[in-house]
Amino acid sequence: MSDKSVVKSGSNLERVLSSGHFAVTCECGPPKGADVEHLEKKIALVKGCVDAANVTDNQTAVVRMSSIAASYILVKNGVEPVMQMVTRDRNRIAAQSDLFGAYALGIRNMLCLTGDHQTFGNHPKSKNVFDIDSLQLLDVVRTIRDSGVVNSGDPVQGGVKMFLGAAANPFADPFEFRVIRLAKKIDAGADFVQTQCIYDMNRFREFMKMACDMGLDRKCYILAGLTPLKSAGMAAYMNKNVAGISIPDEIIKRIRGVAKTEQAEEGIRLLLEQIQEVREIPGVAGVHIMAIEWEERVKEITERAGLLPRPRF
Amino acid sequence: MSMDKSSQGSLQSIAGDVLPTCSAACPVHTDTREYVQRISKGDYEGALDVLLEVNPFPSVCGRICHHPCESKCRRVAIDEAVSLRMLKRFVVENTAAHRIARRKKAVQINSDKSAAIIGAGPAGLTAAMDLALRGYKVKVYEKDTKLGGMLAHAIPRYRLPPEALAQDIEDILATGIEVHFGSSVGVDISFEQLRKENDAVLIAVGLSESHSLPIPGTGSKGVFLGVTFLWDVANGLCPELGERTLVIGGGNVAIDIARAAKRLGPKNVYMACLESREEMPAWKWEIAEAEEEGIEILNSWGPKAILEKDGAVRAMEFRRCASVFDAQRRFSPSYDESVTNTVEVDSVILGIGQKANLDFLLGSEVSVNGGRLTCDRESMATSEPGVFACGEVMTGPGSAIQAVGTGHDAAKVLAHYLETGEILKLPDKNTINIGELPAATAAKARRLDRVCVDLTDPAERIKDFSPIEPVYTEEEALSESRRCLSCATGAHLQFPNHCAGCLTCVRICPFGVAQVRRTAFMPPQECQTCGLCAAECPAFAIEVLRFPTAAMKKSMVENVAGLDLERVARPFLIAYCCVNGTTSRKYLKDQSAGEIMETGVLRILVPCVGRLSMADLVSPFELGADKVAVVSCPEGACYYPRVEGWLERRITRTQRYLDEIGLGGEKLQLFKMEGSGDESWTRIWERFRAVNLETAVGR
Amino acid sequence: MIVADPKPFLQVKGYLEDFQKVLVVGCGTCTTVCLSGGEAEVQILASGLRIAFGKDGRKKTILEGCVQRQCDLEFIVPVLSQVEAEGIDAVVSLACGVGVNFLADRLGNIPIFPGLDTTFYGANMQQGLWAEMCAGCGSCIVAYTGGICPVARCSKHLLNGPCGGSEKGKCEVDPKNIDCVWQLIYDRLKRLGRLEDLRNLLPAKDWSTASDGGVRRSAREQLYDVK
Repeated sequence: MSDKSVVKSGSNLERVLSSGHFAVTCECGPPKGADVEHLEKKIALVKGCVDAANVTDNQTAVVRMSSIAASYILVKNGVEPVMQMVTRDRNRIAAQSDLFGAYALGIRNMLCLTGDHQTFGNHPKSKNVFDIDSLQLLDVVRTIRDSGVVNSGDPVQGGVKMFLGAAANPFADPFEFRVIRLAKKIDAGADFVQTQCIYDMNRFREFMKMACDMGLDRKCYILAGLTPLKSAGMAAYMNKNVAGISIPDEIIKRIRGVAKTEQAEEGIRLLLEQIQEVREIPGVAGVHIMAIEWEERVKEITERAGLLPRPRF
Repeated sequence: MSMDKSSQGSLQSIAGDVLPTCSAACPVHTDTREYVQRISKGDYEGALDVLLEVNPFPSVCGRICHHPCESKCRRVAIDEAVSLRMLKRFVVENTAAHRIARRKKAVQINSDKSAAIIGAGPAGLTAAMDLALRGYKVKVYEKDTKLGGMLAHAIPRYRLPPEALAQDIEDILATGIEVHFGSSVGVDISFEQLRKENDAVLIAVGLSESHSLPIPGTGSKGVFLGVTFLWDVANGLCPELGERTLVIGGGNVAIDIARAAKRLGPKNVYMACLESREEMPAWKWEIAEAEEEGIEILNSWGPKAILEKDGAVRAMEFRRCASVFDAQRRFSPSYDESVTNTVEVDSVILGIGQKANLDFLLGSEVSVNGGRLTCDRESMATSEPGVFACGEVMTGPGSAIQAVGTGHDAAKVLAHYLETGEILKLPDKNTINIGELPAATAAKARRLDRVCVDLTDPAERIKDFSPIEPVYTEEEALSESRRCLSCATGAHLQFPNHCAGCLTCVRICPFGVAQVRRTAFMPPQECQTCGLCAAECPAFAIEVLRFPTAAMKKSMVENVAGLDLERVARPFLIAYCCVNGTTSRKYLKDQSAGEIMETGVLRILVPCVGRLSMADLVSPFELGADKVAVVSCPEGACYYPRVEGWLERRITRTQRYLDEIGLGGEKLQLFKMEGSGDESWTRIWERFRAVNLETAVGR
Repeated sequence: MIVADPKPFLQVKGYLEDFQKVLVVGCGTCTTVCLSGGEAEVQILASGLRIAFGKDGRKKTILEGCVQRQCDLEFIVPVLSQVEAEGIDAVVSLACGVGVNFLADRLGNIPIFPGLDTTFYGANMQQGLWAEMCAGCGSCIVAYTGGICPVARCSKHLLNGPCGGSEKGKCEVDPKNIDCVWQLIYDRLKRLGRLEDLRNLLPAKDWSTASDGGVRRSAREQLYDVK
């Protein structure tokens, strides 16, 4: 069970949240190779605009630079990473070993995920691992942090203090189970949660109400996930093809309703409205802006949303 | 190739001594199912063989049998009985040459024992033939100059022409029995003489005389006894009838009398009987045909008196018959004397029943009681050792086929007696049959109209004694034969140890009858013989008894082995054709090797091509076929529900497999007949053979 | 039951290029039931091989056989004898992988090739359709999941509830054909009034009883001879 009053890792993100600021995180996807320069360009685009940036772990099962290495590059470049780790590709031995390595490299936030199924990626013929699921990974890492033992019970040399995150999808089914699953994740060790991108604000409000009713907001920081829509085409595509995401018709209509050249701006205007909306929902502790391959607009978005400057500790 | 004709043996195994209801109902247990199946395969000669196996009177029965088989046909649960009598008639009328060729020759007499048979009706002649074939010396004494008894004298020609009877009798005489025509026992030769000369005597005199009525006026001019009347008619002596003729009686003989009378010219012919319409003992179809001919039936009237004027019939007086039977269903008419009716007529024919003339037994030791011969039904023995009886004199009024049955039995008891001097008690004749078709199964079966023939127009047929019923055409016979459900010859778990209990049969059975009780079980009394389960069985554990594909494959292999594949017309096509689509046996007969070589087509007949498994569809290519055609019934015409769909899917699966093995799926094609097989098969074969598959694009 | 699918024909044919006398042997149990390796399939494959090799102008002897189960010695003894007596130089097995292995261990220097791809332990959903139901993990957890196994039936083998890809009861991996097992579990536990079972975190599973623990044997005490 997570306890907000105890400092977990002392990461910047944890401090922002624990000090009551409305947190801002974004995504920083590693390159499909070892192109450090490319990654550093992205880092520069978000530096100073967010409290931490998520570094994805072979997202959608497409092979990229490892999230540990990329997270380390973020550390070096002055942006705090939230290192993502999926259980799809590593068993509990590799997961714990990678955790030690990440901590040694100065990484202090970690988001535990199961990972997209490999059939969606560029290696659909690969074998998956799934030795443990995301909740069990939280549990394993939390146990290392709080009890100083690995999953087998052997002691850990030196401390490993991670601020632990999990994902939550309020829009997948069965809906009634979604809050229960969030509670389970918190029980398993999640200190903060980032949600799947929100378009159906009513359903998200409902979800948050259920979460607050269960007192989950007091145990865990909940960051609302938001993704700006670049175009009506993107909106329609996501609605149709990404499981667990549903975009209400009025949003698609709204983006489609403006000229093609204006659609990106309309998407950002919508996002700014969404940021305002989620700030007003009780229990929401921050936003997680997933500007997919649109890092160059993060500064503008945070600025126009009045989220800058970010607090410094 | 033609289908295997020898599946009969295996049929026994499925149901043991359990008979199909049709055979069980037949007094001689004709293997109805088998002869009908043979017809359906175009084997009319084989069908005749089956008939003659148990019945020396197939021509007679084809015309006049009251066909208890049809009454018990299980198809009635679906629509109407198969027209078995008409099929029988079709067989005998289309196999005359075969019948002569197969005629049994006289057997060398191999016993010093002899038997005398009194009466040459169906019972006496059957017994005589059986005994002759067993090598006994048999002498038949017939008081008349014609053989056949009532068949020859009491059944009008429009129902049974003399030629038909003659056909049967010729066969019987060929077995070497000695017939004494015009030899009336008791007149021309004494009964005692017969007993002295022979080791056994069989009384088969039938019921040759009509009962009279104990009412006033029966001696008047214009009153006839029924049997005498019919005898006269049969022998061309036209009895003189008035304009208004009345027949007393409600049985089949009375109907024959009335219909014969109608053909002699009276303006009005009436029938009067004690029974109500529902109670009348005559067959319903006979009553209907009589009425069509203008005969008026007066029901529930009891004869009171024949009124005369100047010694001639003037009218008939009736009283109301209140009931015919008593509480125990015994014949015991009661009358309401207050209700009477007088019908003005000038001729009266008494058709109220027959009795035996047993005068020849006067003075003998053979016991006769109240005009009836004393006879034990089980042993057919009379009171005197060595004297037996069969036919109607023993059973009372009955049918021709029943008389034949007792004739066979009599031959058995006589033979036993002749060999051992002992009385043989015949075993219980009760047979076990497979029971009615369950309603749930019947509801799923396809309805097929019975093939009916039109009788001669009533106005025409009353003009003379010409036969009124046409015989089936070949097309009609084939069509009707395929209505036969071929009961209990369906799917059977031939290889129980192969069955994995996979439930495929259960899941695809269109009739919902297949079960798995550890292994597959298709209840023989319910299976409709479509063969779908056998085709889809992954263990090839199921065979359809009436069409074993193992035999089909063997025959196909043999056929191909007999060809010179270097010189056969190419492309060489093997065509599986649904036999149900043929209207003549042109294509049902075996093909000669020469014909196959020349046409490049080997046809394989299957009672339903839905029965073909995927292996059956692939194997012809192994034998050297260039193309394989499956020709099914016309669209929607399959006798079995859901079979077409499964067949189409199987063909698609096989085509894909043929693609996979590099042969090309287009070499296998499913065709649906348009019209009959005779019309469309050749067209389909030729068209498919002409398609150049090398250049054909797509399928 | 073990489910297996036919291998592509050309793959099987390819195995046999160098052999003259081949025995195709089916299995009368699981693969008969799943319509891929019974008497019928043996005949179809053998027939296809004869046709295909014949088309190449290469006549080979393809023999057919089928036994009740290829995973029991007593049943395969006749196959072993036949191979020796008739000088068969390759065997194609239409059993699951168990049968292929079991025969291979006993076939001396005669090669054996699989005719099927063994897929899973499954149940029949309708004629011609099977679905995976059990993964043979060696320590059954379905007591906590309403009798429904997430190890076998969740694409990610999740043990603590559905991932974010569960939509309208379907799994994102193949929404047309795969049910989200967690939806099934949820619905069933709801019907059973036992939703609280899902509140507890199932800790990391012990996979040592699965094949991860090494090749497995199953021994019934007192029922076999300890050597």
